[in-house]
Amino acid sequence: MDSGVPQNAGYLIAAYILVPTILIAYAVSLYRRSRRP
Amino acid sequence: MTIAQKGRWLVIVGLVLLGGVYVRALAFTPVERFQGPAQKIFYVHVPSAVTTELAVILLGLAGVFYLFLKDPRLDRFAESSAEVGTVFAGIVLTTGPIWGKPIWGTWWTWDARLTSTLFLFFLLMGYQVLRGAITDDGLRARYSAVLGSCAVVLVGFIHLSVYLFPTLHPQPIVLKPSKPSLPPEMLLTLLLSFGVFLLLFTGFVMQRYAIATRRAEAFHG
Amino acid sequence: MRELWRQAWTIAHKDLTLEFRSRTAIVSALVFTALVLTVFNFGRDPTAVSTLDLAPSILWVTFTFAAMLALNRAFQLELENQALEGLLISPLDRRSLYWGKLLANLAFVVVVEAVGLPLFVLFFNVAVGHVLLPLLAVIALATVGFVAVGTLFSAMVVRTRFAELLLPVVLFPFLLLPLTYAVQATARLLAGRPLSEVAGWLRLLAAYDIVFVAVASWLFPYTVEE
Repeated sequence: MDSGVPQNAGYLIAAYILVPTILIAYAVSLYRRSRRP
Repeated sequence: MTIAQKGRWLVIVGLVLLGGVYVRALAFTPVERFQGPAQKIFYVHVPSAVTTELAVILLGLAGVFYLFLKDPRLDRFAESSAEVGTVFAGIVLTTGPIWGKPIWGTWWTWDARLTSTLFLFFLLMGYQVLRGAITDDGLRARYSAVLGSCAVVLVGFIHLSVYLFPTLHPQPIVLKPSKPSLPPEMLLTLLLSFGVFLLLFTGFVMQRYAIATRRAEAFHG
Repeated sequence: MRELWRQAWTIAHKDLTLEFRSRTAIVSALVFTALVLTVFNFGRDPTAVSTLDLAPSILWVTFTFAAMLALNRAFQLELENQALEGLLISPLDRRSLYWGKLLANLAFVVVVEAVGLPLFVLFFNVAVGHVLLPLLAVIALATVGFVAVGTLFSAMVVRTRFAELLLPVVLFPFLLLPLTYAVQATARLLAGRPLSEVAGWLRLLAAYDIVFVAVASWLFPYTVEE
């Protein structure tokens, strides 16, 4: 990797963790709501 | 398998495949020369935006059909599409700033995609707030259908206005997932990601629809 | 067709008679408009930003709020004494109810704008004389856009709780589009740009109006049917 490329992988990791977190949180929410009588 | 169970499987498969997309994006897709690794947020950001718009269009079309057919299942589908669409809008509006900060230097930009997704988010919010304020099922379904129909016409109008009035300055409320000529590896990753997000959307809507059906059955006995 | 218009006019006439007989609503709206313009004056630093830059925004935010205020009361009249049921039982065509309400709301908002525009010119010292006709066209077209959809939505929210809060939340996304077009057109007009640059925005406004008046009038019966 040449030195001209910006070093911003931190943002990438943050986003890539955030997305499945949101998705899984919603999936769990749906699951729990389907269990309620 | 019930609809809910099928939906759950779709979501699980979708999440696993999302992991696959991640692997492909991180290890097998080139790093963009000028934007660096953060550009790869693109592969989750853009499909989410398209999914959000799809959710709005679907709830609108369901509304139009409901006005003709009066089938409550259409209303339950619309309700589900709205909620799931909001989740994906949330993904766009959070990954957008995370992408924007390293690339543009600011957390928020009024670029076409973020602006239009924010706009769709407001449509979705208004739709759900209206639904929440009406207790009668029939009235809620009818009013939601009216609002949803207007929403889908609005989205269509915005798209058409770009084609019919191209000489005007790019309006801020234009939803056009910008696909600059991408190298084939990037395009493939993006397309795979589209597929995964579509899968997730379908799975979520199915589960949400099942919840709506159960709620309706419990209410009416 | 003629019957439709006659009925619509009757409804509009009834509404406007009620409005102007009590005068509370129109006076409140006019005072509100003047207040909003005043707030804008105190909300800016005249040494930092030129009035001309801000003028289109000030004008249109003011008009948007004025339209919201007007629309909020659109169906309030019918809520009292179950007047809406009375209207529906009558042999009136449902569509004429929409057109009648639309006309009444337009008249109301136009009165407010007719006072608001000169106030705006006065407070912010904006020269509009040389572009008055095109500016009036922009205002007319945008107002129709606001009121067409607003009349439809106010019919719905009036039956819900929190109607006054709900209407802006539901309506604003639909106002954003004509608002954007109006601001773009107004900015160019006030900056002295040639009319050819404004024409495109006027056409967009007209297109929006045609589409949404048609859609709203088609959807309206669904909001009042039993």
